[in-house]
Amino acid sequence: MSRPLPPVEDIRALVGHRFPGGHYTIAHWENFLLTECTGSEPLPDDIAHPVALFHVPILGAGTSIGEMFALGQADSDASIGIESYDWEFFKPLREEHPYRIDAEITEADRREENGRMFDRIAFRFDLKDELGEPAARTTITWHYNRGKR
Amino acid sequence: MKVQVGDDIPAWDMPSVLPERMRTMAAILRDPNPVHWDRRVCAKIGFGDHTINQGPLGLSYMVNMLHAWTGPESIRRIKMRFPQAVLDGDHVIARGKVTALREENGERLADCDIWLQRDGTEPPLEGSATVKLPD
Repeated sequence: MSRPLPPVEDIRALVGHRFPGGHYTIAHWENFLLTECTGSEPLPDDIAHPVALFHVPILGAGTSIGEMFALGQADSDASIGIESYDWEFFKPLREEHPYRIDAEITEADRREENGRMFDRIAFRFDLKDELGEPAARTTITWHYNRGKR
Repeated sequence: MKVQVGDDIPAWDMPSVLPERMRTMAAILRDPNPVHWDRRVCAKIGFGDHTINQGPLGLSYMVNMLHAWTGPESIRRIKMRFPQAVLDGDHVIARGKVTALREENGERLADCDIWLQRDGTEPPLEGSATVKLPD
């Protein structure tokens, strides 16, 4: 059963929401399995596969995919669509190195296109290495589909 | 490495997107979305008997293409859009083309269009990448 349409004010109020932040260390086993899922051989010199730039920021910021769905009052897990990812690497991510992650919601608004209504929410994550230097930045933009209106 | 605008990046082939890898990926990502591991849910939303590949996993095929071309430390930026779902059993090929060459902070960079090719459909994933070219 569909949930009621959340008030647009609730969605817009998400802009500026900050996640707790925290640290994340990519374990060797985790990177091995992750890399294997991509169809690649393990990378040299303890380099983490760049696809880690999806889950490492989310978990390291002290949130989860489930919480991000809930913040936007997703109708259901299956109602989420990906608009885009923007991944910037200032240096390669490596296994067994702690990264500091800070994150916030930078955009949140309601859209209607081709008779389809959705809420568009952008999450930005900043990663710093042990020296406090920027390691990566990612912006995830999702659509919370609200069905045909 | 000699690179020119308009050059094609050597393609990277994923002959069949495997549902087992989606399940492993879901566990690593702590991704509760059943569309990646429960075919019954996918059938209800119109995807038939196929689970939906995670977005990052589809993107990773283009990462692998770029790594094979310019090395595992070369990627500086990727911007990706996801107009269509990639499903288990799909044969997809990562492709790319050089659109610009420039220098920044002493690095020789190549800007590229990148996409996944799937026969019979528009590219399910498409975007751009910037890589550092080897000396």
